[in-house]
Amino acid sequence: MSDETPEQLSPHDAVTIEMHQEELAARRAREAQDLADTHTPVAISGLRADDPHLQPAAKNPHTVELVISICFILGICAMAGFGAAYVVNAKPWIIASTMGIGLFLFGVGLVAWGKYLMPRGPFVEERHTLAGDQVERDAFAAAIVERGGGVVKRRKVLAGILGGGLGIFGIVALFPLLRSLGPLPKGTLFHTDWRKGSYAVDSSGRRVTVGELAIGSIVTVYPEGTENTDRGQAVDQTVLIRISNEDFVTEKGRETWGPKGYVAYSKLCTHLGCPVGLYEQQLQLLVCPCHQSMFNVTNGAIPQFGPAPRPLPQLPLYIDSEGYIRSQSDYNQPVGPGFWERTTA
Amino acid sequence: MTYSFIRRSALGLGAGLFVVAPLVLFAAPANAGNYKTIPFQTTRKNAGTPNSSDVTKNAKGQVTKYGNKYITYTIPSSSLDKLGQALFMENCASCHGSQANGVPTSAVGSYPDLVGLGPATIDFWIDSGRMPAKDPEAVEALRRQPALNPHQAQAIAAWVDSLSPSYPGIPTPHLKNANVSEGQQLFALNCAACHTIEGDGDALAYSTFAPSLRHIPAFQVVEAIRTGPANMPRFTGNLSDQQVDDIVKYVTTEIQHPNNPGGFGLGGLGPVAEGFIALLVGVGFLALICYWIGDRS
Repeated sequence: MSDETPEQLSPHDAVTIEMHQEELAARRAREAQDLADTHTPVAISGLRADDPHLQPAAKNPHTVELVISICFILGICAMAGFGAAYVVNAKPWIIASTMGIGLFLFGVGLVAWGKYLMPRGPFVEERHTLAGDQVERDAFAAAIVERGGGVVKRRKVLAGILGGGLGIFGIVALFPLLRSLGPLPKGTLFHTDWRKGSYAVDSSGRRVTVGELAIGSIVTVYPEGTENTDRGQAVDQTVLIRISNEDFVTEKGRETWGPKGYVAYSKLCTHLGCPVGLYEQQLQLLVCPCHQSMFNVTNGAIPQFGPAPRPLPQLPLYIDSEGYIRSQSDYNQPVGPGFWERTTA
Repeated sequence: MTYSFIRRSALGLGAGLFVVAPLVLFAAPANAGNYKTIPFQTTRKNAGTPNSSDVTKNAKGQVTKYGNKYITYTIPSSSLDKLGQALFMENCASCHGSQANGVPTSAVGSYPDLVGLGPATIDFWIDSGRMPAKDPEAVEALRRQPALNPHQAQAIAAWVDSLSPSYPGIPTPHLKNANVSEGQQLFALNCAACHTIEGDGDALAYSTFAPSLRHIPAFQVVEAIRTGPANMPRFTGNLSDQQVDDIVKYVTTEIQHPNNPGGFGLGGLGPVAEGFIALLVGVGFLALICYWIGDRS
């Protein structure tokens, strides 16, 4: 049986192991104590001068001090540069960056000072409770309700006037809400300032004549007299494009609308009213820069791509005996995006 | 008697028609030929064609120079014709034909007829490096380092122009007479829709785009405005030489040398791009600093 039992330790061996284990336990306890000393929040009062909580966090405080002083010196230089840049009226980005770098370096230095050179802590200070006890609170509430109520009740007239004033203010406050909706548009959405015989003028007010535009040219025109008005620039703006030298028919029923190859379309996109200003003369497309609606100039501006729901309205033109380009009438439908009351498709 | 007279007259008329009618086939191309000279014509004075007050002609009565105090247009000298023809045969004829009259294809704008387009057109396409084309089937020719120097470009323009003299000539804008404020307004109205108000260019239909204007010499800006390369509209009678000069001044100053108070223009891409940079760089940097401040040492 004896050879089956585990090997017996000699008394000498057992003593050695016990010694090692005691030593290990002692070291672990020390380490735990150190950890507790340095990481457990302590109250700052009553600490011994050599308490680890009061040591700086940095391992090499002198190196950190050197780095911080370099930060501060560079910061002072940057601030001096900021002053100089300000005096000589340098470029804004130089003024801004010298000041920014200076403040940044001061900030880095201060934060590093606080983080690495101050006592590492963490410290706690217990605060007394802020709330008063129940008796105090009850007494206070009772004083307000009873005395205050008494005072208000004694001034019934004033309280009534105050209440009435607040009530009227509440009603008046509703007015701006209704007023700020603005005047009703009435018929203005349905008509532009183009009339029978309106001269087409460019943005400088010069009348456009038949010989001026070459094929592939585009100009934004207004009915004469509106080129400098808000309404003219918003509603009446029209693109005049020359697409050939011959009379141009974009659609059945518009045989006379495009004399000598001049065709005119409203510049307001039928989607959201952006100015449809991109004319691609090879593709014969008008493109809206906002949402890339594309209108084919040659077939009555039917949208062939994008969110626009309707063709751009075409302005019927004629050329008078002196060669000026004029409109036959207003647009035959409302220009721009759709609205509730709009009836024409 | 009368019957046979009528019959004979009718026969004669028919025969006559039979002989004369084919001439219509010749008449039609003749009209088409006239069409070539029409594109840049404008009756407006001082708008790119020599109907302005100041026109210089040579001994043969050919226009050599015209314009005004805003832009001078020069027709390249006919002494360059020989050189131009040689260069054309070497660099251009394989697509545009030995007579510069193009090769008709189904696609719009491919291998176009160059006769009658005016020296400014030819000069622009060669001098901006778009021609000779790197990829003749590309939907849009891109600005590249020019394969031919300005002198060679003018020589080719001179030879093509000699086939059918036309306008506009090669422009020289006089920017000291220009008004940059007017130019800004005209740019906003006429150019910004495609090129954007910052002049960076933007996408158009069918894979084409309006190019950036950041690195374009002043005379090429005039050439592009006056001749309407590719999908760009032609600005002829709709802009006077004075107005074009104003626009060129705006492009070559405010657009090509923008005044960026912040030091970085960020390509003028607007508040979205700037906000993105502020969020990514600014807030990201601040977050890192906050992490450093709050981290236990």
